[in-house]
This record gives sequence, structure tokens and C-alpha cells, in this order.
Amino acid sequence: MSENEIFLEIQKILNEIAETKGVALPTLEADSDLLGGQFPIDSLDLASLVTDLEQLTKNDPFRAGFVNFRTAGELARLYAK
Amino acid sequence: MKKDSSMSEITDMKITADDHNPLVLRGECVVTRSEIYHQAMEQADRYTREHISRVMVCSDDPVKLLSTIKGCVTAGIDLWVAHTSLSSSVRTEIATHHGIELMIGDEEKRIESDQTIDRANPVGRIHTMTSGTSGKPKIAEHSLSSLLSRIMPTKMTRSHHGGMWLLTYQATGFAGLQVILTATLSGGQIVVPEQRTPIGFYKAATAHSVTQISGTPTFWRAFLMVVEPETLKLRQVTLGGEVVDQGTLDRLREAFPSARITHIYASTEAGVVFTVHDGQEGFPISFLQEDVPGVKLRVRDGRLQVKSPSAMRAYATIKRQPFTEDGWLDTQDRCEVRGERGFILGREDAVINVAGSKVYPLEIERFLLQLPSIREARAYGVPNPIAGMIVGADVVLDPQIVPAPTKRDIITTCQQNLASYQVPRLLTVVDSIDIQASGKKG
Repeated sequence: MSENEIFLEIQKILNEIAETKGVALPTLEADSDLLGGQFPIDSLDLASLVTDLEQLTKNDPFRAGFVNFRTAGELARLYAK
Repeated sequence: MKKDSSMSEITDMKITADDHNPLVLRGECVVTRSEIYHQAMEQADRYTREHISRVMVCSDDPVKLLSTIKGCVTAGIDLWVAHTSLSSSVRTEIATHHGIELMIGDEEKRIESDQTIDRANPVGRIHTMTSGTSGKPKIAEHSLSSLLSRIMPTKMTRSHHGGMWLLTYQATGFAGLQVILTATLSGGQIVVPEQRTPIGFYKAATAHSVTQISGTPTFWRAFLMVVEPETLKLRQVTLGGEVVDQGTLDRLREAFPSARITHIYASTEAGVVFTVHDGQEGFPISFLQEDVPGVKLRVRDGRLQVKSPSAMRAYATIKRQPFTEDGWLDTQDRCEVRGERGFILGREDAVINVAGSKVYPLEIERFLLQLPSIREARAYGVPNPIAGMIVGADVVLDPQIVPAPTKRDIITTCQQNLASYQVPRLLTVVDSIDIQASGKKG
């Protein structure tokens, strides 16, 4: 999957999470800081997002250890092949 | 006087020369009590004649197990009961370590005695093994009377007398032996399924008009998926080997309205600790105030500890014993009191650490099984780079619930009812969940 496709998946998953919580998701940009406070997600939601992406892409960028990322774009890049 | 007569009833095991009633049924094959008696006496004679003091039996055939147990008890020698699922190398290692002189399985194998092992004072000990799924099994040392302490004939309730018992457990495990011995001592019969599948169990149950079934909650949930409950005339429904949830108890009550429904807390190490008959999950907290006959229970450091006549004497080989300094057996099971009820949360080592919060898989399975659309559930930890671990769950949906809920529906229900760290973040809908030889979830 391309970086852009993964970015759209991230948007979709975050929308579902926000929907479950009964809140609206602000527009997601590539430089949106995922845990920066503007999005209604906590670290466990992020954990679940990462698991969903791994399932979807069959790619585990964290296999060799934790890799730093802050923004939605950076996360999409990690999973793109 | 009373004690003497009950002791002789124990060694007698209600297996006598002149009792020609059937005891073990498998398909068309019927074995009587008298036939098992004669096999046992032949074995006992051989042990005495050949100076055999340690025997290992490895068979799922209740006839072989009963005749060997009675043979060993009669000759006063020590017995090891091994699972057929153990690899032959592990079995041989155990046999060598303990100085076993005769192995009874499909064939009998005499083992050259190792003279360095002290076999002094054989006393009719019976050793049972844990399932040993994670390597070598642990071996618990019992006596026949400790195995039977909760099923003494004098304590038999009327509902057990002359019952037809379906053997759903692995015969060599603690629960399987309990069922075999209970049926034997209560004048009942043991029905052995020809196929150990839900449908195989059902066929055996209907063919022999089974009245008592004891199985794991996992067994029961699978069984309920294939049976037409009204074709079975069950007097006793027993659950053991795993913690049972309210959803499963309610489904059983609905399916078998006239049966007594009992759940048992027991283990290879602790023996049978308590039984609950009120159809509610957990146990009454009165049990913690010495309300269980002969058994004392307490919760220390969040774990259930017991003192019981049916507890093992010790692990046979491991130095580290699960006893506290003041002589209580630590079950390693987390136990929590909520209101008037105690709840077993599961083994301490089964805990999933989600971002520093402890999740007991059983709690999650218990919640999922309460949902009407879910028939079976298994929760487990999934490594995660952010949270360390997250909860994963496999679920089997009830095909009769239409439309089937989506994964998102189930996760949303979990989010509305569970703490955030308890929510299964990875949910997989599966056709079935593997069942181990012990009848427990894989």
C-alpha cells in the first residue's frame, strides 16, 4: 500500500474511534500531531491504530524495536512499503 | 467403626467379584465390575510375585485405569498416571526419574530396576499430572483417600446414585479420574464416547441415555451448539476445569431446566475444593468463613489459598512447593470479593499487562460470553509497540443471530462496558476455537 492509501486508512480508523466516542474528528493533515491533544484519541487508541495498520499492511515497522513518530504522515510512511 | 467401614469401602472401590453390573460402556462394548475386579486381582498378584513397587499407567481406557488403580491399591504399591498426550520421551524420563518398574499402556513394558532409587515403603500413593502443555508436567502426589475424599459413598447425593456418566474429560487428568471414580463409587456407569468431538459426545450420550455430564465450560458451549437438549434426560450438569461465566450457566439452565447445575473449583494440586449449586457464577463468600465441609479457604495477597483433605501432599519432584509457611496451598489463582460473592479471575501468570494495567483474560471472556451473539470467546495478549501488550480476542458468533454483529459493533459494546485497557483492540471472528486434550481452551 502507498503512503497515501495508508494515510486514508488512518483517517478512516480515527474516524471510527471518534464515532464510538460520540465526537467529531477534526480534519487530519499529514503533519497532525496524533497525541497532540486536538484529536480525541489516547495512547490505547493509538496502540489499537498501530495494530490495525499492521493487520492491514502485513508490515510491522516496530519489529526491531520502537521507532519514533509524532504525526499521521510519519506513521503512514512507516507502514508504506 | 464408621471410619473403618468407609476406609474399606474406599479400597474396595465398589468393584467386587460377584458384581456383574456393567461399569464401562463404549459403543457396543460393555465391561462389568466383576471383569475389572479380576483384571485388578491378576495385576495385584503379579506386583507381589515380581516384587514390583512402582507402576505407571498411560491409557485413556477407564477399564485399564480402574483395574490398575485397584490393583495397585490392593497390592499397596505406588502408581503414576500419565497422559497419553505426553511424548514418549517425556514419559520415559519421568519413569526413569521415579524408578518405575512397569509401564502399562497399549502394551506392558517391564523396566530394569535402577537399584540406586529408594523404593522403601510403598504406601499406595497415586500420582497425577498437570497437562504439561508448557513442557514437563508437574506431578502431584495423592492417596486414593485424598482423591476420593469428596466422593465418599456416604456423601453421595441421591441424584448421583446409579447415574450414567459421560466421560468428556481426558481420562488420565484429575477431572477425568474424578468422574471415573465418582461413577464407580456411586454405583453408576461410565460412557466412553467413540469420538471425542461435540457430535461424538452427543451420539454417546443419546445412545446410552446418559444422566450425568461433567465437562469444562468450553466443552459445554461447544456441546450446546450441536445438541437438541430435550433428547437428553440430564439429572446432573457439572462444570469444572475452567472458571465458568454467568452467560454459560444461564444457557445451560435454559437448555436443561430440571438438571442440577454444579460448578466445581478443583485442580490437580488442590483436589476438589468446593462446589457451587445455585446457578450463579463465583462462589458465596460464606465459603471464606469455613462453610465448606473439611475445607478452609482464604484470600491472601489477592490469591486463593486452601487447606483441604483432598489437596496433594506435595509435588513429587519439584523443590519449590506451592505451600505457605503456615501450611496453606497457594492456588496461584487471583480471587476477588465483590459484594456477597467471590470470583476467580484466573492464574496470576495469565495476566496481560496493558500499558501498566493488569487484564485477566477470563474477565474479558466472561464479558464477551454474556453477549447474546457470542457463543465462544478466547482472550489473549498481543504484543504492541505503544502499550506493551493489548488485548486480542477470538470469538465464535451464534449463527442464529441475524444480522450478525460486525466487529465494530462488538468492540463498541466492549468500549461502553469495559475499562479502556480491557477492550479487545484486535478482534477476530473465527469458526471455532481449539480445545486441548484437557477440554480447556487452547
